[in-house]
Amino acid sequence: MNDKRLDRLALVSKVWPWLFLGALLVFFEVWARISAHRSFIFNAYNLQSIGLAASAPLLLAIGQTFVIVTAGIDLSVGFVMGLAAVCVAQFTIPGGGSPWVLVLSIPLTILVCLIPGFVNGVLIARLGVPAFIGTLGMYGVARGAGFLAAGSGMTVAVDNAGLAWLGQGWTPVVLTAVLLAFMHFVLSQTKFGQYTYAIGGNPQSAVRAGINVRRHLFAIYLIAAAFAAIGGIVYTARFAAGAANAGEPMLLDSIAAVVIGGASLFGGTGTVIGTLIGSLIIAVIEFGLVFIDVNAFWQFIVVGVVIIVSVLIDQYKDRLGGAQ
Amino acid sequence: MLRIVLGRLMALSTIALAALGALPGVAHADAAHPVVALLPGVTDPFYFTMYHGAERAAKEEHVQLLFQVPKAWNTTEQVPILKALIAKHPDVLLVSPVDKQQMIAPLKEAADAGIKVITVDTFIGDGHYQTGKGDADFPLSYIASDNLEGGRVAARALAKAIGDKGTVYCEDNKPGISSTDARVQGFMDEMKKHPNIKVLETQYNEDDANRAAAHVAAVLARNPDLAGVFGANTFSGSGAAQGVKTAGKQGKVKVVVFDAVPGIDEKISSGLVDIAIAQRPYDMGYYAVKAAVDAIHGKKIPAYRSTGFVVLDKSNIDMPEMKVYIYSN
Repeated sequence: MNDKRLDRLALVSKVWPWLFLGALLVFFEVWARISAHRSFIFNAYNLQSIGLAASAPLLLAIGQTFVIVTAGIDLSVGFVMGLAAVCVAQFTIPGGGSPWVLVLSIPLTILVCLIPGFVNGVLIARLGVPAFIGTLGMYGVARGAGFLAAGSGMTVAVDNAGLAWLGQGWTPVVLTAVLLAFMHFVLSQTKFGQYTYAIGGNPQSAVRAGINVRRHLFAIYLIAAAFAAIGGIVYTARFAAGAANAGEPMLLDSIAAVVIGGASLFGGTGTVIGTLIGSLIIAVIEFGLVFIDVNAFWQFIVVGVVIIVSVLIDQYKDRLGGAQ
Repeated sequence: MLRIVLGRLMALSTIALAALGALPGVAHADAAHPVVALLPGVTDPFYFTMYHGAERAAKEEHVQLLFQVPKAWNTTEQVPILKALIAKHPDVLLVSPVDKQQMIAPLKEAADAGIKVITVDTFIGDGHYQTGKGDADFPLSYIASDNLEGGRVAARALAKAIGDKGTVYCEDNKPGISSTDARVQGFMDEMKKHPNIKVLETQYNEDDANRAAAHVAAVLARNPDLAGVFGANTFSGSGAAQGVKTAGKQGKVKVVVFDAVPGIDEKISSGLVDIAIAQRPYDMGYYAVKAAVDAIHGKKIPAYRSTGFVVLDKSNIDMPEMKVYIYSN
C-alpha cells in the first residue's frame, strides 16, 4: 500500500457524503422529471421545505459537532431546545405583540438554557462524569423543566410580529446558514478549533501542550446548549407556539447528521460542513421519499444504511492509516 | 485495496438506488384523476383503520389516495411530511393536525397553494370552520367523533351495567387535551341525571398504565364499594382494568374503556374489560374521502360531520358483525 493510494482513499472518505447527496438529488430529479414532468431541485418551494427541514436538527447538530469532536456527546440538547421553545413563548407573552420585547425575551431564554449547559460542563469537565451519563441526567431535568414551564397544556401559544418575522419563509434557513458559516470558521480556522480537535484526538497530550482542557470542555457544552436554545427559539417563531417536546425527535437526527458528515464518536475528527451535508442528506431523503410516494418508514432504513456505510468507510480509512 | 473499497461502495449505492427504483411509482393530479392525501397524527391502529376506510372510498370514487404517517405525535414530525405532500399538490388534503394552535400556519400554506383542507379526528383553532372568523376557519370540514357525546354514551353504558347506583370515577390521561377533556365532561354531565350514582374526583395518569392501576388500588382502599371506572383513553382503560384485576374485584367493579384497540375482544371475553366505546375511524376515513370528492366536484360540504359510536360488551362481542368496529393495523 503506497501513500498515493492511501491519499486517494482518504479522498473517497471525505467526498463520499457529497457524492451520496448528489446521487440522491439526481435520483429524485430524474424521478420527478419522468413521472411528474417537473423539477425536484429547481423549485423554490421544495428547496425551502428541505432547507427548513434540515435547519431544525442542524442548529442542534452544529453544537453537537463540537461536542463529538472532543469525543463527548450531548443527549440533553433535544429537551433544552423544548425548554427554550416554551421559555421564549412565556417571556414574550407579557410584552404583547411588540417586537421590542424580543430584545429581552430572546437573551433571557438563551441565558436560562445555558444553565443546563453549565451543569453539563461542571459534571463532565470538573467532576469527570462520562458525557453520556451526565447529559442523560440533564435530558431528564430539561424535559421536566420544559413541561413545568409550559403549565397545564403542552404548548404555549404566542402572537408576536417580531417572532413571526423570524419564523417566516427563508429567515430560519438564512439564520442557520450564517451561524453555520461562523461556527465553521471557528472550528477550522481558529485556535479554539485547533484545541477542540486536540482534546478529542488525545486529551493527555492536549494537557501537556498547555491547553486548559477543563475550561475548553466547559465552553463546548455551553455552545451546545446555546445552539439548542436558538433551535427552540426558531421553532416557536415558526409555529407561533412553544412546545416542551419540540426537540424530542431532533436529538437523534442531530447525532446522525454529525456521524454521516464524517465525525467519529471517538473524537478528533469531524467538520461543520460535513454535518451540514449529513443533515441535508437526511432532509432530502425525508422530503424525497414522500415526494415519490414511498412510505416514510423507508426513511429510517435508508438513513440507517447511510450511517452504517459512513462509519464503515471511516473504519477502513483508520485501519489502513494504522497499517501504514 | 482502493479498488476493492471503491467497488464495494459502488455496489452498495447501486443496490440502494435499485431498491429505491423498485418501489412503486405514482400518477399525478389532473382534472380526470383527482388525488387525495391522508396525513394522520401518528402510526397507530386507530389511524390505520381510518386509512382502510379511506382506501375503500377512494376505490369507489376512482381517486388516487396518498398516505403518509408521522412516526411520533409531534409538530416537528408532521410538518416536514405535510410540506412534501404540499409539493405534490393533491386536490384535497385530509389531515389530523397534532396541535390545534401550531398546525394553523403550516395548513394555511396548503390552503394558500390551492389545496382543499379537511381535518379528520382532530381540528385546528376551535374546530368551527367556514365561519369567516379567526385565522383557522379555512378548512372545509371537520369529520370526527363527538367526544362529548362519547362520554355520555360511556356514562349511560356504565350506569346500566351497575344497576344505576353506586360509586364511580374517571381515569384520564391529563387535563388540557380537547378529546379526553370532552369525554370526561360528557361523562360527568350524563351522570348528573343519575342521582343514585356518586362520581369521585377524576384521576390523571399521564398515559402511564401503571399509574392508572395504582390509582384504582388507592381509590378502592378508600371506597371499597366502588362500582365502576371509566378509562377515558386506551392507557387509562387498560391500566384501570389491570388495577381492578389485581385487587380481585373483576366483575364487581365494572370497567368501561374508550376506544377499541386490537385485542379488546379478548379482554371483554375474559372479563378484564366490561364495556368498550368504539369510535368509528373506518367511517371517518370513508366519509372524509367522500367529502373530498364532493368538494372536488364543487359541491358544498357540511363544516362538521360526526361519525358516532358503537358500544361493545359481552353480549355482542362474539357477533361477527361487531368485528369491524375493532381497530386493525
